[in-house]
Amino acid sequence: MLCAVAFLAAMIAVLQFSLRAYVPGSLDAGGFTFANFTALLKPLYAQVFLNTVWICFLTAISTLMVGYPLAYALVRADNAVIKSALLVIVVTPLFLGEVVRTYSWIIVLGNNGFINSVMLSLGIVKQPIQFMFTTFGVVVALVHVTMPVMVVMLAAGLSHIDRDYQKAAESLGAGPIRVFLTITLPLSMPGVVAGVTTAFAWTFSAFATPQLIGGGRVNMVSNLVYQLGFSSFNLPFAASLCVAGLALTIVVLSMLRFAARPLENIGPH
Amino acid sequence: MKRILLALFILAIAVPAKAQDKLVVSIWGGSWRDLVAETVAKKFTKDTGVPVEFITGGTIDRLNKAKLAKGNPESDITFTTSHVGWLYANDGLFEQLDVSKIPSAVNLADEARISPYHLGAWAYVYTIGYRADLLPGATFESWDDLWKPDLKGKIASPDFDPSHIIAISAILSGSDPAHWEKGEAKLKALKPNFKAFYTNDANSQQLLASGETPVQVVLSMNAYYMISQGVPITLAMPKEGAVLGVDTVAVMKGSTKADLAYKFINALYDPEIQAEIAKIKKGSPAVLNAKIDPETAKLPGVFTTAAQWKQQINIDPKMRAEKTAEWRKWFAENIMN
Repeated sequence: MLCAVAFLAAMIAVLQFSLRAYVPGSLDAGGFTFANFTALLKPLYAQVFLNTVWICFLTAISTLMVGYPLAYALVRADNAVIKSALLVIVVTPLFLGEVVRTYSWIIVLGNNGFINSVMLSLGIVKQPIQFMFTTFGVVVALVHVTMPVMVVMLAAGLSHIDRDYQKAAESLGAGPIRVFLTITLPLSMPGVVAGVTTAFAWTFSAFATPQLIGGGRVNMVSNLVYQLGFSSFNLPFAASLCVAGLALTIVVLSMLRFAARPLENIGPH
Repeated sequence: MKRILLALFILAIAVPAKAQDKLVVSIWGGSWRDLVAETVAKKFTKDTGVPVEFITGGTIDRLNKAKLAKGNPESDITFTTSHVGWLYANDGLFEQLDVSKIPSAVNLADEARISPYHLGAWAYVYTIGYRADLLPGATFESWDDLWKPDLKGKIASPDFDPSHIIAISAILSGSDPAHWEKGEAKLKALKPNFKAFYTNDANSQQLLASGETPVQVVLSMNAYYMISQGVPITLAMPKEGAVLGVDTVAVMKGSTKADLAYKFINALYDPEIQAEIAKIKKGSPAVLNAKIDPETAKLPGVFTTAAQWKQQINIDPKMRAEKTAEWRKWFAENIMN
């Protein structure tokens, strides 16, 4: 209860700050104004908000594509050693901070990084491919950041599927692909929906990864809050960006939830 | 039993009393904290017997914490950048300094006398640093050389503070930082040459060391650190001058140890301490009577005479504090995005 009150008080503080004027050269906010929100109507900010949603969508879907086979193998592997190895691979990134993980991706994605070095030495490319400071680079790094959460949620969903359904399908002559497409995949939908929703929300608040991999060329809402609010001391404008970002998150997640409702109903009952 | 309780009681009241017997200094973490700990703090403790405790954090974090603790500050001394110091001062967080209590401040360079509330501790420049090995034949005699078409997609500058390049664009357009709008078109013309914007010193180092951005508007001290680590960086000193930066020191309003704080600042301006700081960080001493070693003195961006200080581009810190938000917003809207 106390936590809820503290959380609510913080939200109210941010909201009231977003409705106050910025006073140049001072930390104190001025009188009430809607100027911070009208300033957000500029195309630049709309573009950053759209970019954020797009990056979140790409990350959530890419994480699902990479995470599903891992989660499937984690749940279905009979060999305890393989299972443990998979678990370590999946969970280890959680023990590293986002900044550490992101710096490692800089080493991998840079012009002189691992991928470009290998491709150049094999003669696949003549010039390094620009991965850094691109949406692609940011999404790749974000997928790695989000992966453990996705795999854990998918694994939870997959482990709840009664294997008798699959055995019944197999006894009726269905091959492995058909069993997967008609039994396993539909029944794992609650896990998929939960994983995608969580990955989306998780990515929405990403800061260090787009900041470092994006290099100021790929910006998400959190980066804009940092750039325009905190590094320039314009806290009222930063607060208005936070409020708008929060509203957008709620709207997008509600839409996602609404759209995914039929899929969730497919799950085991 | 009574004796044990009495001993515990004495211990309980004695420990806080001892804990108060120290000077608390707020500063950035990492090498900045170590710099002050190994130089000024060491001398201060040797002279007074009072230990120094450090509170470390980022510029904005410490500013916010100081504002929340207004009247009852967590630290007695604060180090911060000159323009951010004005935000502290405007909010009544700094004590107005009684310079008669800082005798060694008499030798301060004029540009280091920032305000009645905060004084320069050391100086550095933001200038052009580049990887000559990756840019054969490149020279930077003027800031205007950054606009060369062959530098397309090769430059990085700080994302947290565009004031340097905004001031430069204004000057190259025949104006000055106060009338920076006259340099807008010039700065927009530089946009194709920007490849990225770095977020902190570590990010700047990584981008230069990897060659990802072979040219940077870079902090001189940071460049010298990278050179010491084996990164082949050349630091240019454009004919227009480099952009002066001054880190400052101030006494927090409400400090109960103001006298000790003044002694600390006096120790900071000891010529030998200033020379040591210059040697460690390859920065400029804030006082003009420091005898810094010739190897350090000849480095670009290190200045020891009043004339050298005046050759640099000095953006008025008070104006910078007032303009930062406007500049930052314009830069984000027109250059970064």
